[in-house]
Amino acid sequence: MHDMLKITMGKGGKIKKTHLMYKANLSHKQMTLYLNELIKNKLLEDELSENKHLICITKKGRDFSIKYAQVKEFEKTFGL
Amino acid sequence: MKIVFTPDWFLNSDVLIGVVSFIVLFLFFLFAIKSYNLNKKKSILYLGIGFLLIALGELSAVLTKLVLYYNTEITQEIGRAIINSQIINSVDIFYYVGFFFNRFLTLLGLYLIYMIPSSKKKSIDFFFKAYLIFIVALLSNSLYYFYNLTALILLILIINNYYCVYKKEKIANTKILIVAFSLLAISHAIFLLSKLNYIYVTAQSIQLVSYIILFVLIIRILKNGKKTKQDGYNARHVKNHHGKGWKN
Repeated sequence: MHDMLKITMGKGGKIKKTHLMYKANLSHKQMTLYLNELIKNKLLEDELSENKHLICITKKGRDFSIKYAQVKEFEKTFGL
Repeated sequence: MKIVFTPDWFLNSDVLIGVVSFIVLFLFFLFAIKSYNLNKKKSILYLGIGFLLIALGELSAVLTKLVLYYNTEITQEIGRAIINSQIINSVDIFYYVGFFFNRFLTLLGLYLIYMIPSSKKKSIDFFFKAYLIFIVALLSNSLYYFYNLTALILLILIINNYYCVYKKEKIANTKILIVAFSLLAISHAIFLLSKLNYIYVTAQSIQLVSYIILFVLIIRILKNGKKTKQDGYNARHVKNHHGKGWKN
């Protein structure tokens, strides 16, 4: 799920659903499951722009992603 | 008997180094707790507690040194007590208790950090070793080098743990961690000879450098965490995004 947030951030905060699915290397079923969870927790949101569905990262999602990456870095440093 | 080996001109710096050490160690504790709140990994919690214990040990030393070095009200009270009732021994106890907590908490913290990668954690085993550390800290009041020698051994074991992590993962931050702990170990080795003033100053200065390196490490971890967000590529599968290799 963190990968999905990271990929969305890497694409400037907005990404097409299909692009996200391929970049995160997920099946449609997996992506729907994770996406619903992320939207439910207000980390991502579904936006309709020019008749296209785009996945956007929220401020909460950005903050969470940064915090998560820092924790991962901390864990890796200490080999935990 | 002499309680501390600090030369007079180094008193301020001595306390300042203690304060810097406390702040850095406390930052590690805060970071570990923040990480634990996110992923609930017990090993991170133990690491945080380890850093907290060492931080409290430093704080104990700083407070004792403040009373010992400066003309505070407590010092004056103690001075009056000496003059009035000749209770020098009980005054000694005040300093001994302060430095005892410094030694006991530091050794316990180091032991906890050393124990983290071990798969067999038995609480009874931990309490027995905590008791041994208590004895070492107690003995160190009269034989100061017991503390430095035990800290040195624990630090060498910790460095070995992190060296194994570095060999496996080749992470630059782990290398920095090894350098910081190695300097801390060197400072304890030098402290073994700290009856000589200038050697004490050298050891404290090395200790300061090691804590500054640990502080740099915290900044690097925070910065690297922020940097990761710029990378839109899938970290699980892409070795590098210039097309050189794929990793599962």
